[in-house]
Amino acid sequence: MSSLANRPSDRLIAVLDVVLLVAAGIAVLAPVAWMVLSSFKQSYEVTAYPPTIFFQPTLDNYRSLSQTTPFLQFGINSLIVTIGSTALGMLLGAPAAFVVSWTRITWPAIVTLVARMAPGTLFLLPWYVMFRQFDMIGTYSALILTHAVITMPIVIWVLLPFFDNIPRSVFEAAQVDGCNPVRIFWRIALPLVVSGLAVSAILAFVFSWNYFLFALVLSNSDTKTLIAASFNFIGEGSTNWGGLMAAATLIALPPLALSFVVQRWLISGLTLGAVKG
Amino acid sequence: MASIHMQKLVKKYGDLTVIPGIDLQIADHEFVVLVGPSGCGKSTLLRVLAGLETIDGGDLFIGDRKVNTVPPSQRDIAMVFQDYALYPHMTVRQNMAFALEMRGMAGDEIATRVQQAAKLLDIDPYLDRRPKALSGGQRQRVAMGRAIVRDPQVFLFDEPLSNLDAKLRAQVRTEIKALSQTLRTTMVFVTHDQIEAMTMADRIVVMKSGVIQQVGTPEEVYETPANQFVASFIGSPSMNFMPVTVEGERLALSDGHTLPGTADLARRVPEKGSATLGVRPEHLAVVPKDEASLMANVELVEPLGSDTLIHFTVAGTKAIARVEPDRRPRPGDVVPLAPVPGKAHLFETASGAIIH
Repeated sequence: MSSLANRPSDRLIAVLDVVLLVAAGIAVLAPVAWMVLSSFKQSYEVTAYPPTIFFQPTLDNYRSLSQTTPFLQFGINSLIVTIGSTALGMLLGAPAAFVVSWTRITWPAIVTLVARMAPGTLFLLPWYVMFRQFDMIGTYSALILTHAVITMPIVIWVLLPFFDNIPRSVFEAAQVDGCNPVRIFWRIALPLVVSGLAVSAILAFVFSWNYFLFALVLSNSDTKTLIAASFNFIGEGSTNWGGLMAAATLIALPPLALSFVVQRWLISGLTLGAVKG
Repeated sequence: MASIHMQKLVKKYGDLTVIPGIDLQIADHEFVVLVGPSGCGKSTLLRVLAGLETIDGGDLFIGDRKVNTVPPSQRDIAMVFQDYALYPHMTVRQNMAFALEMRGMAGDEIATRVQQAAKLLDIDPYLDRRPKALSGGQRQRVAMGRAIVRDPQVFLFDEPLSNLDAKLRAQVRTEIKALSQTLRTTMVFVTHDQIEAMTMADRIVVMKSGVIQQVGTPEEVYETPANQFVASFIGSPSMNFMPVTVEGERLALSDGHTLPGTADLARRVPEKGSATLGVRPEHLAVVPKDEASLMANVELVEPLGSDTLIHFTVAGTKAIARVEPDRRPRPGDVVPLAPVPGKAHLFETASGAIIH
C-alpha cells in the first residue's frame, strides 16, 4: 500500500509548489539582480540590446557617485529623516495602538490608515504652503514631520494585533495592582510587545527610507535624501543609468540588510493577527 | 480587613440590565461564595466590587468608605483571576513584588513579604522562574501569592480553580480554605461549582439572572432552600422534583399513585391543590416493600465507590436515588424507596417558592 505522500496527486501538488515558488522568486529577484548587475556595467552596456550577460565588471559608477555627488551627505540626510520619522512614528503610534486596543474605539486607527492610503500629492500642496509660512522648507523637521504620516499608521496597525493578543485580565490585574493606564502601557503592555515594536520599527524605517515624494518637494540641496537625490541621474536629454543603478543598489542596502537580520521576527510579527484567530 | 456593603446595586450594559438591584452585606473576615449558573451576574458583581466595571445605580461600601467611583488601584483589594493573569515578562518574584513597588514600598520590606508569601504557598523554589515555566497549579499559587503579599482589605477570587484538573482543584480548594482561616481577610469567591461553594464558604450567595435567590450558610441553603432553583442548584446530583396533588390526606403523583406518610406535607399544599415535591437523592431510602412510597424501576446504575446512584423514572419524571455502595441493583430491578421523614420539600408550582 502506498503512503499518502506518494500519491500522484500529492506529488503533482509538491512539484507545482516548487514551480510557483521559483516563479515568484524570479519575479521578485530579477529586477534586483538586474539593478545590481547594471551598477557594475558601463552606462552604454546597461541599455544595450540584447542585454549583455557576460561583461567586464567595473566600479566606475560607484567611484563617480562619491566624486560627482555629496552621496555621503545625502545618506546622512536620509538617516536623519528616516530615524527621526521612525522614532516619531513609534512615539505617537505605540500609545495610539494601545489606546485603540484598550478602548476598542477603532476609528482613530482607521483615520490614520486612510491618511496613509491617500496619495501623497493630496497633502503636498497644503504642507508646502504651511511649511513655507513657518519658514521650514528645506529643514529636517519638515521632512521628519511629513514622513511621520508614513510611519505612524504602520506602527499603529502592526502593533494593534500585538496589544489585542495580550489577555485583558493582565491589564485588569495591573489596574488592581495599582497601575494607572500610563503605567500599564509602560510597565506591562510595552514589554509584552517587544517583537511587535521591532517589526513596526523596521517596517516604518523601510517605508520612510524609500519614500520619495515629500523629500523631493520639501527638501533643499542640504537636506535632500538619497532617494530624492538619485533623481539627479535622470537628465532631460540623457540618463546616467550606471550611476542610477549604483545609487539604487546602495540605497536598497540598508532596508535589505535590516529585513535580512530580523526576518524571523518580521514573519512572526506580520502573521500574528492571522494566528490569533 | 473590611466589611462590604451593597445597597440597591445596579449594573447595565447599554439597555441590558445585568444586575437589577442587589442588597448584600458581607461581614469583616467572612468568606462568601457567589454561586450560580453561567450568565447569572456573579462575575459581573465581583468585577463591580473590584472597580473593573462601573456602577449604574445604588451604592457600594468597602469598610466605611463609599467606593462607587474609586478606581481599582485605590480600593485596597486584591484579585485572583480565572486565567491567573500573571505578567508573562516578569519572574514569579517580580510578579509578586509588582503591586508593592507600585505603592512605593521599600525594597527590603518587599523582599521580606514576597519571601513570606512564597513560603506560605510553597512556591519559594520557583521565585526566579517566569510563569510559562510553571504548571497550572503553580501559576495558581503565584496568583494567590501576588494577592497575599499586598495584605489587602478584601480578596476577590474569580473562578480561580476552573482551569485546574479535578485532583488539583480539590487540593487547591482545601488550601484556599486553610489560607482564609490563617489570613482572616474578607474573601469573595465566585464559582459555578456548587461543591466549591459548599466546602469553602462561611455563607453562600446563590444568584440567578442578576438576582440573589438566597443567602445563607452551606447548611441553610442545602437543608432549607428558598426556592426550587436553589434546591436544584445546590447538591449533586440535583434534587428530584415531582409534580404532586392532594388526594384525601396524602400527596399523589401525576399518575395517580398516592404517597404514604405524606399527610404533613399534604396539609401544606395551598388550596389549588397542586405543588412540586422535592426530595434529594440521598434522602430517598431503600425500605421494605410494605413501607415503600415509590417502586423504582431501575434504568441505570452508577457505582461511585462511596455510594451508588440509581436512575429511575417516576410518574414520567426522571429521578435519582443515592443508596449504600454494597447495594447494586441491575437495570430492570424494582427497588422500594421512601423519602426520609422530614427531608422532603414542597415548592409552589408557579413561582417555585418553598412552601413551609
